[in-house]
Amino acid sequence: MSSQLLALAVVGIVVLAAACLELFRSRRTRVKTLGTIAAPASDPYILYFTGDGCTVCHTHQEPALAKLGAVRIDKVDAIADRTLADRFNVYTLPTTVVMTPEGRALHVNYGYATAPKLERQLAEARSGAMQAATA
Amino acid sequence: MATQVVDHSALKVNQTGIIVTVLVAFFGSWAFYRPLLVLIPLLAVVLLLGTFAPQLALFKQFYFKVLKPLGIVKPRQVQDRPEPHNFAQGLGGVFLAISSALLLLPVDARTAVVTVSLGLAIALLVAVLAFVNLAFGYCLGCQIYFQLGKRGVIRAS
Repeated sequence: MSSQLLALAVVGIVVLAAACLELFRSRRTRVKTLGTIAAPASDPYILYFTGDGCTVCHTHQEPALAKLGAVRIDKVDAIADRTLADRFNVYTLPTTVVMTPEGRALHVNYGYATAPKLERQLAEARSGAMQAATA
Repeated sequence: MATQVVDHSALKVNQTGIIVTVLVAFFGSWAFYRPLLVLIPLLAVVLLLGTFAPQLALFKQFYFKVLKPLGIVKPRQVQDRPEPHNFAQGLGGVFLAISSALLLLPVDARTAVVTVSLGLAIALLVAVLAFVNLAFGYCLGCQIYFQLGKRGVIRAS
């Protein structure tokens, strides 16, 4: 077998393994952090974990958050506030956590989350709050 | 920790340069001309030099001196810090240097299959990560920089 074919096979395996590991870790941490309690509020809000070294935060995540309009966004420096970051298993930046008004973590997005995705999650948090209010 | 203005187009051109060079070396050496593998050590030198002396960063200089003045690539200034990007570039350079060592290692024919394959695989992985950064904005080297800073291994200034 040629070296190039062998190299392609190695790279394929590494990329596949990395993707599976990432998927597994993401699901596990999501399951662990969902339902985490924080301070209650009148509307759903977003915990936005960032850091000075995070380029994607500045170039992608912050413009996406700006598109959300009048939504409360609690910016958290993941390096300075390690306790809170560890509580939500923040291992990559940016990380956004959509919180229900009761202060329960509804969705945890590891990595860049688009504005439409966050809007959907916020709508879900709002509808959950309305159901709770009418029940 | 004040941010500066970083031209992200220069970073994109740099990533494109890495991807193209590795792909030319890989497929060129496979299909046409084996000595094209020498592009990998050259790329390692370019990346490492560019990390410590930005004026020697070949692809970025190509952008600043040719592509930008001619209007071929539009500048994209972003409030950012250059250190994580330089770290990522340096890390890419280090991995390409390891890849080069494996490719140029004087070994017998049987061992050469393993060392050359491993060398090529490392170079391809660097290209894959450059592509992920170019296409999706995820910079693994920057994340490593952040994690090392968080653990106090490096002083993330």
